[in-house]
Amino acid sequence: MIARKLTAFLHAGNLSSTLTWLVRISAAIVACFMLLSLAGCNQHLIGVLNPKGIIAYQERKLFFDSLALMLIVVLPVIIMSLTFVYHYQISHRIADYKPDWSHNYFLEAIWWGIPCVIIVILGILTWKATYELDPYRKIASSNTEPMVIEAIALPWKWLFIYPEQGIATINYLVIPVGQQVVFVMTADNVPMSAFFIPQLGGQIYAMAGMSTRLHLLASEVGVYDGMNTQFNGQGFSDMHFSVQVVEPKKMQPWIDAVKKSSSRLTDATYTELLVPSIGNKPQFFSDASKDLYKSVLLLYQQTYGTTHPRHEQGKFYKD
Amino acid sequence: MLEHLLLGKLTLDAIPFHTPIIMGAGLFMMVAFFAVLLLITIYKKWSYVWNDWVASVDHKKIGIMYLMLSFVMLLRGFSDVVLMRSQQALAAGNAMGYLPPEHYDQIFSAHGVIMIFFVAMPFMFALMNIAIPLQIGARDVAYPYLNSVSFWLTFVGAMLCNVSLVIGKFAETGWLAYPPLSELYYSPGVGVDYYIWSLQIAGVGTLLAGINFIATIVKMRCKGMTFMKMPVFVWAVLCAMILVVLAFPVLTVTLALLALDRTFGMHFFTDYAGGNIMMYINLIWVWGHPEVYILILPAFGVFSEVVATFSQKKLFGYTTMVWAIVIITFLSFIVWLHHFFTMGAGADVNTFFGIATMIIAIPTGVKVFNWLFTMYKGRIILSSPMLWVTAFFTTFAIGGMSGVMMAIPPVDFQVHNSAFLVAHFHNVIIGGVLFGYFAGAIYWFPKAFGFCLDEKWSKRAFVFWVTGFYIAFMPLYVLGLNGFMRRVNHYTDTMYQPYLVLAAAGAALILVGIMLQIVMLYVSLKNRYVLRDYTGDAWNGRTLEWSVSSPAPLYNFAVLPTVSERDQFWMDKQEGCGTPVSSANFHYQPIHMPKNTSAGFLIAFFAGIAGFALVWHMWIPGVVGVLGMVIAMLVRTFNTHTEYFIDAETVRKTELAHLQEMANAR
Repeated sequence: MIARKLTAFLHAGNLSSTLTWLVRISAAIVACFMLLSLAGCNQHLIGVLNPKGIIAYQERKLFFDSLALMLIVVLPVIIMSLTFVYHYQISHRIADYKPDWSHNYFLEAIWWGIPCVIIVILGILTWKATYELDPYRKIASSNTEPMVIEAIALPWKWLFIYPEQGIATINYLVIPVGQQVVFVMTADNVPMSAFFIPQLGGQIYAMAGMSTRLHLLASEVGVYDGMNTQFNGQGFSDMHFSVQVVEPKKMQPWIDAVKKSSSRLTDATYTELLVPSIGNKPQFFSDASKDLYKSVLLLYQQTYGTTHPRHEQGKFYKD
Repeated sequence: MLEHLLLGKLTLDAIPFHTPIIMGAGLFMMVAFFAVLLLITIYKKWSYVWNDWVASVDHKKIGIMYLMLSFVMLLRGFSDVVLMRSQQALAAGNAMGYLPPEHYDQIFSAHGVIMIFFVAMPFMFALMNIAIPLQIGARDVAYPYLNSVSFWLTFVGAMLCNVSLVIGKFAETGWLAYPPLSELYYSPGVGVDYYIWSLQIAGVGTLLAGINFIATIVKMRCKGMTFMKMPVFVWAVLCAMILVVLAFPVLTVTLALLALDRTFGMHFFTDYAGGNIMMYINLIWVWGHPEVYILILPAFGVFSEVVATFSQKKLFGYTTMVWAIVIITFLSFIVWLHHFFTMGAGADVNTFFGIATMIIAIPTGVKVFNWLFTMYKGRIILSSPMLWVTAFFTTFAIGGMSGVMMAIPPVDFQVHNSAFLVAHFHNVIIGGVLFGYFAGAIYWFPKAFGFCLDEKWSKRAFVFWVTGFYIAFMPLYVLGLNGFMRRVNHYTDTMYQPYLVLAAAGAALILVGIMLQIVMLYVSLKNRYVLRDYTGDAWNGRTLEWSVSSPAPLYNFAVLPTVSERDQFWMDKQEGCGTPVSSANFHYQPIHMPKNTSAGFLIAFFAGIAGFALVWHMWIPGVVGVLGMVIAMLVRTFNTHTEYFIDAETVRKTELAHLQEMANAR
């Protein structure tokens, strides 16, 4: 049937059928989406639509609240545009034709006024939420002290240092459920990157010589995907890591197990990590130095001269 | 030593003989290029091409050349789309697709650069050149020779970008070349240098054109056309050009500093030795955000013209329309930080920029309502320009909505850098800018070429474009919300694949749309005598450009018009005096016009040599290029014979011929 309509349309080049067509096509697209999204639900939604942390949950709420507010204006616009174009076609011979009507204080006040009101509401919402969900801020709703994890973006992998526990991992995070965690991050021998665990909360950039922070709190046990979102060279697409959210009581046994690991995070191992590599498997290090993070920061802040501080360790770019 | 000064870093290795896709594309470009040269030679058209086009300072011809450049580059930019969409549709799970990262990264970088700088910008300047002088009742732009320089600089910038496909490579950094990735340490190849110099050359062209059009609109309006009587398109262009003049110097300086870093080992934006990458990101968006308004404002202008004309009704709320444009112009300069809420500036800064961004939605919404109520109680003729406007309303509303949502910093933290963002900006740039420019191109096509485009094929192309657009970009919103990032070369989670296959299918439909547009051009050209616009007023228009013949005569107006109303031409027609004031006995005056000059082309040509030399550090050709530019400029400066008169008799004959044509058509 669709094919027949299409050929009919193509032959006629008819005006009103174009509109009918647009409406039908849009309906078909929406239907396709519903189906695809349903199929998605059955599997696993891994983004903000399926939050597993306090921050991500509030971000999703904000997403839908703002969507609803915007639709107050956007839906009438879409409906009006289609109906006006359809209704006032010249072929419909509507008698009510006012070629010189071009100004009306009341109407114009309405469409300056209503968007203003919506933006004021949205602005207040934004103001409050931006402060509440500021990644630098301790999560107020939780009475736990943040657990510190230092993250260093390396070419193209993530190094996570647990300074209080003295251990480190590559591309593998274990955090306790219900406990807030503060990620302190920078980059080394890799261009600006961004740290993101969609189901737990928003992202933040990691930049060499600078330290950025992100507070997260996981509310459900599970395994989530973490990634770099900022394009930073050839290994970008594989710069993912696995996030294990576990019961608090399982934390200590895991830390103890890593502490028994034979590989230690020495200067030599760190230098090896500076060499660009793609798709690294998780690695575990006992005995991570407490000063490593700080020394990486200082290296970029205090290097002068014409050569990159890491030019000898690992050639970033491969032809 | 001499070899180094002459050839710099350039060797035969720079040509990627082992990569069939690139070599195929390069070969195709070369064949097309030489075929054009050969055809010109065979038909002995060299002097015509050189004297009447290359050296032309006529705004109408420069407009047509901008249009051709834009369309050719659209094909180039879209071939990148085909590669990217098929790569992402294939590279799921363990599959890596067929494009390795080093190639794929160049493709998405080139796609962004080409579509913004060499498709959208030339398209905008094409419409401006074709319409603005005619709409304000002027005989040309303020500086016709500068106009030619601007076009050729843009052209050369585009060609330098194309050369990078075959000789060397393009940037692998994304379209804004964020440092430190774009610095020498992380990107030692010539890719970023091609990026810098093609944008520098094109950017200077844009800046000059901006100055030119501001001067034209401010100083050359016909008698009686006060600012508040200008067509809205002229207002939109005036504001967009003010943005150009304020924003493009920032781009030029930013890229110059990056070039200093890369060429002379300085440290403006390096990640060590005191460089500051955040400075670059701020600066590039201080240009980059106004840039998207530079593109959209003229599109808003086109919508205002098209909606009023095809609804056969006065534009609703002219004064609010103008103020809305002015407010948007101002606000567009204080929102740049919303492109990097995730940099960690803190809640104070993010709140300010978030709310400032949302406020832009108010004047934009007002404009949309004014267009809607222009249609209300009108008599709408659903010709293809109007169809594009109809599609624009829904598409732009969705794009604007996702834009405001991303202006909320905590929401942006979730969708930043994701496919959601990609969907958003294509939603506004295709649905707003491109749909608007298509509407404008079809609307003004008869004015530029003298015949209308074939409506049937035009509508067919429209249907495929719009359907293709929705199928290509709506899945990206879903993908983005599921943690699928932009610029991804391959992904392990196969759940994404159906969406990406759908998106690829959408891109295929758009491809069909583009092909149908080519068919439309061919069919229209074939039937140009049937589609000829004899009256000069193809759409029952409202503004001055429709009061002259199509295409407009060289001098535009035999007698400069005087206006006392906004839609003067429409009013004249209502009162029954729509035809030009000329009759057989009218006493015509000779008309003062600028002479053609090839200086614009030569300056740009040498700028291209200098740009290519700077990319490869070829110092001798570099000096030759710069000297060539300077000499061409000086020679032209000291040439005092740059103007001439069209005698009254020629004007009389031209005008009478048009009147005769109009009479015959009736």
